[in-house]
Amino acid sequence: MESVEVSAKNVDEAIDIALSDLELKRSQVSIEILTPGRPGLFGLGGEQARVRVTALEEGTARPMQEEQADEGAHEEEPPRKDERQERESPSRERGDPIEIKDLDSEEVETATEFLRTLIEGMDIDAEVTVREPETAADGEGRASAVLDIEGDDLGLLIGRRGTTLAALQYMVNVMLTRKLNSRVIVTVDVERYHRRREETLQNLAQRMADRVSNSGRPMTLEPMPASERRIIHLALSEDEDVVTGSVGQGDERKVVIRPRGGGDGDGDGGDRYNR
Amino acid sequence: MKELIEFMARAIVDYPDEVEVTEEETEDQIVFHLKVAESDMGKVIGKQGRIANAMRTLLKVAAIRRETKAILEIG
Repeated sequence: MESVEVSAKNVDEAIDIALSDLELKRSQVSIEILTPGRPGLFGLGGEQARVRVTALEEGTARPMQEEQADEGAHEEEPPRKDERQERESPSRERGDPIEIKDLDSEEVETATEFLRTLIEGMDIDAEVTVREPETAADGEGRASAVLDIEGDDLGLLIGRRGTTLAALQYMVNVMLTRKLNSRVIVTVDVERYHRRREETLQNLAQRMADRVSNSGRPMTLEPMPASERRIIHLALSEDEDVVTGSVGQGDERKVVIRPRGGGDGDGDGGDRYNR
Repeated sequence: MKELIEFMARAIVDYPDEVEVTEEETEDQIVFHLKVAESDMGKVIGKQGRIANAMRTLLKVAAIRRETKAILEIG
């Protein structure tokens, strides 16, 4: 029976790494906590958590890729520049085509009107301006436009960890899809929140990649929405020392950064992230 | 706030004429009841309640602006 032992910052992280090594889901394994671990003060004196994860029975060891292919249809896989175009066509066949339209298209105008009405309905005094997406955080290559909300004191519209902004963007896109039956999406931004978040994530990605290449051990980041995981994948797509992948479901999905060439000793465990 | 809920719901259902929002105000909060056509229930709730949650998040901002609390009940 396949079994791995993994140490990490905490139990959850150790389990995630083990599951991704075994290519199994939580329901397909038994988990034994060898050391629960404890966080140290200011990074000192802590103890790593260690778990043993064992496949429940032979033959259940089936790659999780198949199942996650659908669930991850909206996820931007780790992009490699040379493959990016090929990557877009299969996702089109999966029924998830995204259309890109001009800034003065009916779709972008309708989305802008929706957003203005929502903001007004929330009793917030702000202006909406439309511009072209310029970076990954703007949704470049996916979003037809960035709708920038400008005004005073708009922290309320961003919300804790960007949740309100995410809800606003989600609603505008749902309304747009239903109303025009279109495949156009827009990015909604407040005070360049996405851009600032992108810079933070790029810095984080680089710092974590350096740690992974120094230690030779994989690291799992905090759960992030697909748009943020994409920024990490993109930031490290040409890194020579590490590769990135994702583990977990739904809101718990996290990026894993691993040493390139599978430093985990099982020979091919890390390979799938290379594809 | 009622208008905000109506606006969002009407934009995403198949039968906008059947969207109805009633409100019930108590001392410290307002409870909104959103009713839609039976076949539109899934549309206003969304997969894993994602649309309902997004509507609630935006309603919360509207409530904060008016220094009150708002609850959205669907169905």
